[in-house]
Amino acid sequence: MARTSIAVVFAGSGGSGAMTAGAVFLRAAAHAGYYGMMTQLFGAQVRGGESASLVQVSTAPIETQPDCYDLFVALDWEKVEQFAAEIPLDDRSIILADPAEGPVPAGIAKSKGRVVALAMNDPTENKLARALRGKRVNMFAAGCVCALTGIGDGDAKAAIDTIFDGKGADLIAANAAGATLGAQAAPALALDLWLEPPRKAARWLINGNQAVAFGALRGGVRFVGCYPITPATDLVEWLAPHLIKLGGRLVLGEDELASVNMTLGASYGGTPAMTVTSGPGFSLMIETLGLAVAAEIPFVLVDVMRAGPSTGIASKTEQSDINLAIYGGHGDAPRIVLAPVSVADCVNTGEYAVYVAESLQTPVIVLSDQALGQATTVIDPSSDRPAPLRRRVNGVAPGKPFKRYATGGDPITPMPLPGTPQLEWVAEGLTHNEAGLPASGAAAHVAQIEKRAKKIRQFDPGDHWGEVWGDGDVAIIAIGSTIGPAREAAKRLAASGQKVRVIALRVLSPLPMAALGRALDGVRRIVVIEQNHGAQLYHYLLGHKAIPSSAESVARPGPSPFRPLEIASYVV
Amino acid sequence: MTDTLVATPAETPHCVFDAKDFSSGAHPVWCPGCGDYGVLASLERALAKQGRPPHEVVLVSGIGCSSRLPGYMSTYGFHGVHGRALPVATGLKLTRPDLEVIAVGGDGDGYSIGGNHFIHACRRNVDMLYLVMDNRVYGMTKGQPSPTTEADWDSDIAPGGIGLRPFNPLAVAVASGANYVARGFSGDPNGLADLIVDAIRWPGFAFIEVLSPCVTFRPEQREWKKMVRPSAISIEQDRAAATALVLADDGFSMGVLYRGDRAPIAPALKPEISVADVEREFMVAV
Repeated sequence: MARTSIAVVFAGSGGSGAMTAGAVFLRAAAHAGYYGMMTQLFGAQVRGGESASLVQVSTAPIETQPDCYDLFVALDWEKVEQFAAEIPLDDRSIILADPAEGPVPAGIAKSKGRVVALAMNDPTENKLARALRGKRVNMFAAGCVCALTGIGDGDAKAAIDTIFDGKGADLIAANAAGATLGAQAAPALALDLWLEPPRKAARWLINGNQAVAFGALRGGVRFVGCYPITPATDLVEWLAPHLIKLGGRLVLGEDELASVNMTLGASYGGTPAMTVTSGPGFSLMIETLGLAVAAEIPFVLVDVMRAGPSTGIASKTEQSDINLAIYGGHGDAPRIVLAPVSVADCVNTGEYAVYVAESLQTPVIVLSDQALGQATTVIDPSSDRPAPLRRRVNGVAPGKPFKRYATGGDPITPMPLPGTPQLEWVAEGLTHNEAGLPASGAAAHVAQIEKRAKKIRQFDPGDHWGEVWGDGDVAIIAIGSTIGPAREAAKRLAASGQKVRVIALRVLSPLPMAALGRALDGVRRIVVIEQNHGAQLYHYLLGHKAIPSSAESVARPGPSPFRPLEIASYVV
Repeated sequence: MTDTLVATPAETPHCVFDAKDFSSGAHPVWCPGCGDYGVLASLERALAKQGRPPHEVVLVSGIGCSSRLPGYMSTYGFHGVHGRALPVATGLKLTRPDLEVIAVGGDGDGYSIGGNHFIHACRRNVDMLYLVMDNRVYGMTKGQPSPTTEADWDSDIAPGGIGLRPFNPLAVAVASGANYVARGFSGDPNGLADLIVDAIRWPGFAFIEVLSPCVTFRPEQREWKKMVRPSAISIEQDRAAATALVLADDGFSMGVLYRGDRAPIAPALKPEISVADVEREFMVAV
């Protein structure tokens, strides 16, 4: 019987090509018209550690890790044991492995999955000969899995053409030949893994990091100051060539302090600007975040969260920077914090962040996480773009001195671009008066704090505040990459007769109290789900009395993703 | 050594200004007798001579007594956090090459908390001026030794002296790739103004270390006016020779130490693609 989705693991030692096998399978599926998602597991080693690509393909959009993998393809067994615990398998799983690579390791075998032998290497060839020929076990495996799921050789070939574009016709032909051999080996395995035909449409293949970057470009960002940090580096590596060709500029700072301050400098000059980082870098940027609040300089800060504190786990996900994003810094420094609700939403939230920053003249933090950022996903093309908002640079009231930080009226005061005659002003991080001159009296201090607070308070995100799915009297509140598994859990619970609504917050700060209140109307039970130990989101909502004290908290650290089963088991 | 890139066109003066056109009229927080008054006067004179109007100039600073300077001038300004003037100025100049960008600050701001940025700003060679008012002390926090303080200078926080070799900003600037390196004295406003004009007009990253006495916490620096002297020579191109010269100097030779021929970092490219082109890259046809 054909299935609607399949979850496949390609695993092997570093250099085995497990990532490329996954990429080929995912892209081939997209060509065939399926949705899909791929995430990756790495060891800590830069080269030569264990690696696995985790690919799901489906007739419907995928936004969550599966409870269990249907198919585990071992390219070799060298280091696979090291992350066996992170790849759930059970007795319904199929383990496809070459007997020539040795016995199935205990960590994988204990799943009681069915082991199916598949000779992926030519047994007459030794390792050296294989290496010289070009290692194509991964292409053999990718071709075989495509065929097993009903994805045609033509789609596999199209994927290989794209992925190896520019690497030469010989290499492309050799990889395609490997995939074809794999496809030819599939029927003999007699496995029932065929997928239902998809609803075909042109879609996007994109990961969350690219999506945020693309959204920011669409919103007008033309300067990026950044410093390398996992898992945000690939965002700026994708961004750099595109930004340059768009006439913008990306500067690799000497550290995060430089990066964020360059970003502010560019923004002061009138260029929408962004910096991109992860937890440790975000911590370093906090002082300048306060400066941007005080001096009212717009910029976007993207934090692709990883497991913390300190260096934590650089390559793995967590949602533990919520407090830092909302509260980080000394003094009263209100800011906007947004969190994309899916990989697809990273595009619009990235774009919206630029508009909000520019129009409010304030920093906007985009809280992404590694699980969104590095999930390569097949999505429907982005639509429903946010309405553009611009910085207010004109409309200065006549009279000298120019009061850049005028109080009493609209708290969003004109911010003339340097180069404008007669309106010179100083962006000032000291407590200042309306003209921007340093002032240490109580009146100016209170008035300016109130001016900035009012900007944030009167910010109305409208429909951008968040999303609600379902109308049950049990509500799950989630952000970022935990929304997908929560929605999947709710679907399953609905199928068994229990209606659950899922509420996703896109605007974390300022908390959209009215909209959240409406979303919670008629709810008798609330569960707040988040991926950190301290229940940061739960306490934030509780502190604002956005949820009653009877609300329940499900908070646990990363890096293991929430899976639908875990959430459904709790809520049921 | 000429490394890389594209020369920027020279800008020609197009207006006539007076030094007072560059004053905001605000009263400085500086102590009577502070060297920074002389630097402020020099900068106003230099900008008048340079001939660009106040609205085309941006002064960027960090934190400290001297970093208050942008508020005292009629130009645009950015008074940021401690030590980060150079990155702000870098981001601004790279996106607004039409503006005259000048970073200012003190020795603590520039050589200690901002020391890393100083090195890398020299490397980047963005076309701007960095002017450091060096009084060899943290004045705003009332007298702690800075990176340029003499090893044996006694203070409450470091009794008997900090015991560290003073930082040599000019040598570091030359070694790191600054394209113009000079030393001036706040007690010679005309000479300093000439130096500033020369530095602004020189392409690339120009660095001027200004000896600017702190009469409150380092009253002995009043003697500097007797110690400074014009430098006998300045070096063109040869960084090794400039380094040897500055390392052998007692720190009181005034004038241009080094002028190089590195072209400044190239401006951003004209757009070659549109956002729609980027979007197409994500599309997977079926």
